[in-house]
Amino acid sequence: MKPRIPLPTDSVNESGLANTAGMAPALGAARRRLYRTGFRMRNVDPVTTELVRMRNARFQSCNY
Amino acid sequence: MTWLEGLSEGDTDWDRLASTFPETFDALASLMAAAWEDTDPVLLELARLRIATLLQYPEELTRRSARAKEAGLEEAKLAQLAAWPTSPLFTARERACLALTEQFILDANGVTDAEVAEVTKHLGGNGCYAFVEAISALETLQRASLVLGIHTAPDVDQMITRSTSAHATEGSG
Repeated sequence: MKPRIPLPTDSVNESGLANTAGMAPALGAARRRLYRTGFRMRNVDPVTTELVRMRNARFQSCNY
Repeated sequence: MTWLEGLSEGDTDWDRLASTFPETFDALASLMAAAWEDTDPVLLELARLRIATLLQYPEELTRRSARAKEAGLEEAKLAQLAAWPTSPLFTARERACLALTEQFILDANGVTDAEVAEVTKHLGGNGCYAFVEAISALETLQRASLVLGIHTAPDVDQMITRSTSAHATEGSG
């Protein structure tokens, strides 16, 4: 997928996606923290968590 | 009042859930703080209120951002928000951001190259990226609040203030 906005680099990250490191750094850090927090919660078992994540990705056509 | 049972005491639904799940709610509040830190407060307030309308979240529509007000956003413009495509109160920059916001909320897959290009024209690449991240954060908060039945919550600025210390120590991710 071709990025729709100009990026500071043509490199890709470990997931093969466009590298957006350095763009909106505060938001990026906060979002990563929220993700970590969510995955660490023990209220929902990891299998259900993964099934929901993958189902949502398919629903959103997020195919990477 | 939220339908969840067995929560801690608190002044608002948000406070009661935050007392019960402090790490998660602090992370969510920190995400809000970062959203307002990385974007124009007027653009984000317009987007926040438009999202609340689209998601049918009436309580969110009653809250206001003091940052946006200090930056010049007036109630007269907010009263015209539903008419943003044609109202003369809205600039081309604001219209571009509201168009992208609406499409993002209704169907993110339907966002067009032209809509992104229009926002990028006004905000630049970094600005467009930050704006999309910010409206995604607002969407997360509002959808989660609706599902959990969070009808009462601190104002945006109060939420940000409470999360500031945690956010400051998290800068390096």
